[in-house]
Amino acid sequence: MQFKRRNFDDARVILDVQDLTVSLEGTPGAPPVVDQVSLKIRNGETACLVGESGSGKTVTALAVMGLLPKGALRVTGGKILLDGTNLLELGPQAMREMRAKRISMVFQEPMTALNPVMRVGDQIEEVLDTHLRLSAREKRSRVLDILEQVHLPDVERIYRSYPHQLSGGQRQRIMIAMALVLEPQLLIADEPTTALDVTTQKQILSLIGELQERHGTAVLFITHDMGVVAEIADTVHVMKQGELVEHAPVEKLFRQPQVEYTRRLLRSVPSLVPRPPRPANGSENVLTVSRLQKIYVSRSLFSPTLQVHAAEDVSFSIARGRTLGIVGESGSGKSTVARCVMRLIDPTAGKIEVAGKDFAQVSRRALRPYRKHIQIVFQDPYRSLNPRWTIGESLIEGPLNRGLDRKTALSRAAELLTLVGLPKDALSRYPHQFSGGQRQRIAIARALAMEPDVLVADEAVSALDVSVQAQVLDLLDELQQKLGIAILFITHDLRVAAQICDDVAVMQRGRIVEYGPAQDVLANPKHPYTRALIEAAPGRFWDFANFREVSAA
Amino acid sequence: MRAAPQPVSALQWFLGALSLPQRWRSGVGPIIAAVVLVAIVLTAIFAPLIAPHDPLTMNSVQRLKGPSDIYPLGTDAYGRDLFSRIVYGGRISLLIGIGAAITSVIIGLLIGLVSGFFRLADAIIMRVMDALMAIPSILLAIALVSLNGPSIWSVMAAITIPEIPRVVRLVRSVVLSAREEPYVEAAITLGTSMPKILLRHLMPNTLAPLIVQGTYICASAILTEALLSFLGAGVSTEIPTWGNIMAEGRVYFQIKPSLIFWPGLMLSLCILSINLLGDAARDVLDPRFKKREA
Repeated sequence: MQFKRRNFDDARVILDVQDLTVSLEGTPGAPPVVDQVSLKIRNGETACLVGESGSGKTVTALAVMGLLPKGALRVTGGKILLDGTNLLELGPQAMREMRAKRISMVFQEPMTALNPVMRVGDQIEEVLDTHLRLSAREKRSRVLDILEQVHLPDVERIYRSYPHQLSGGQRQRIMIAMALVLEPQLLIADEPTTALDVTTQKQILSLIGELQERHGTAVLFITHDMGVVAEIADTVHVMKQGELVEHAPVEKLFRQPQVEYTRRLLRSVPSLVPRPPRPANGSENVLTVSRLQKIYVSRSLFSPTLQVHAAEDVSFSIARGRTLGIVGESGSGKSTVARCVMRLIDPTAGKIEVAGKDFAQVSRRALRPYRKHIQIVFQDPYRSLNPRWTIGESLIEGPLNRGLDRKTALSRAAELLTLVGLPKDALSRYPHQFSGGQRQRIAIARALAMEPDVLVADEAVSALDVSVQAQVLDLLDELQQKLGIAILFITHDLRVAAQICDDVAVMQRGRIVEYGPAQDVLANPKHPYTRALIEAAPGRFWDFANFREVSAA
Repeated sequence: MRAAPQPVSALQWFLGALSLPQRWRSGVGPIIAAVVLVAIVLTAIFAPLIAPHDPLTMNSVQRLKGPSDIYPLGTDAYGRDLFSRIVYGGRISLLIGIGAAITSVIIGLLIGLVSGFFRLADAIIMRVMDALMAIPSILLAIALVSLNGPSIWSVMAAITIPEIPRVVRLVRSVVLSAREEPYVEAAITLGTSMPKILLRHLMPNTLAPLIVQGTYICASAILTEALLSFLGAGVSTEIPTWGNIMAEGRVYFQIKPSLIFWPGLMLSLCILSINLLGDAARDVLDPRFKKREA
């Protein structure tokens, strides 16, 4: 695998955005959301728009589509030329004609972008109905043809299916089919694979590439994932706070990034090569899980009882000061394991030993002493803190439950804030006054306030931008060295796992299929599923942080 | 961009709510409504100072008189001053409206919290609530009045009981969605006790919808009270209420329509302003507008 090296200098310019400026409406004087962005995309070219959240990527795309939210955002300058026509001068009627026929868009969340009460075949036909006059038979054959092109199996059945009957990957294929059925000149894809598993992501990326080649479509691909960029881009445009800071052919950008911001962004991308192993410290196990099982049973009067084995025969242990990663795709049971270990749900069978005692089947009330030993940090930093409570209140909740007096608890909370790198005056502020990364630090401080032996991090950095992700990972590492806590790190991201874990357990369909030191599991996988996962990781041939190929060590 | 109200502590939220009129973009409607409602409430509170006559003193010489300097709105069939009766009548109407709203909200909140958080209790409580909801308030009122005799308490109970299940359902639905929030799960893992989670994490989520619901209950209670009095199943006929005044005026409607017009106008104004305020409160407090700016 290597970068694309096609040359587009002679190709026709499809999209020519000149000095596009988008501003917030009703707040004069506020800095524009998109500030004088210019970019060109030629026929058959894939341009990637990258940047952290809030950098204006999606707003740029919506401006091109003419879909900026009315009354909130407005184009205040520049031109958007599609094959020579300035889209900004078109009326709503003409713009509607343009969409689907000339430009179309694929969104991130395939479930919400499709109408849940309409068969997918009818939804694609609707696009044809709006723009073309075709007989029922022509329409049907055209829809079946595009379904074939996006490699959906058994197209007749898919045609009659409702969105909820399809998997996430299949739904995204439907979205792509819908976007391409009228053969537009420009396809805008806004994080189309972010909600998908890596193996599905790989298939969708190659599908977009294949269809682009066949139809000669120009693609504007928005993503925050540098791995994806390495796989599919011809040219890369880097955005930062509404400005385009750098653009270059993909290889040049990854080898010799010119701007400091781009360098920093690339340096934050965690490497897939596992970090050098830390010597085993020989301390005792603080958490031992053996033969854990969780079965969900759904009983219904009219259908046979359904059993789902969310976790089956799961065994692992973590020693003090070590990190165990549980990796797997969605539905593999990794979160079920985390929730069982936290006793947020009750395991069906098995043992969970903390501090030498089995707590798997203890009653809720008797759990109290156990709670002190093991704490959790959740994925979503926006929902894991009570929005009505000050940070101080949140931080002392646990210590107060343990019987500490308020004053001691508060002074301890202030120390914890310093420990996670936040100012002490944060105590009296509210969660909405902090960024996602800062909130995740607060959630970590809240967990540490209980002085736990084990910290469970359930996708704790997945919702964060790469640069913030790197900082939070560093923080966890530092805390581990200082306090000697054991970390159970649940993640779908192999890059993150490679950088933080001593041991890795790979889960598939509720079972651990491979378990061992990170060095062995990630560098020399034995199980075919682990191998498939690693192969599907985008951009694995490139060492982003060092601006060069991964050395074949 | 609409300024989304930020979630804050209950006290701060309440202080914010007091300055709500500045945030209402929907025009002057809610402000006029607030002024009218405050005027009605003040009139009811200071009724003895405002009413020129005793509302119960009959005067057979002055029956069914038109408006004059002595009787601003004229007199009824017993020679009682209509204006004074309307002023005093507002007391009972507002008392029942506000009383029914507060009682049903508090009882409904307690039951709803328990129902939303404990699965086992939920199954039983909700069936009881379904049964309660099936009782029409008018029939219940007639039954209670015939059992205990006409009194404010019978009427208030008759109006409150059928409203409780609606509040319970509302609170329960809010609790059901809020208990899935990670911050509630975090509280569980921190060893916080169930009553504390209910009161400190879950209850604040229900306050905004409850305030809105409360205004609607208040309006409908005032209306039901008037209706019950009109039907003769309400408060004792000796006590002036807007419904009673209209019920008595009904007989003389053709020769003296003002006996129905004035209490009816007060009733309409009062209900309209409460509903307008409720709508405005909903617009401001609706969770869809409360979304954090990501």
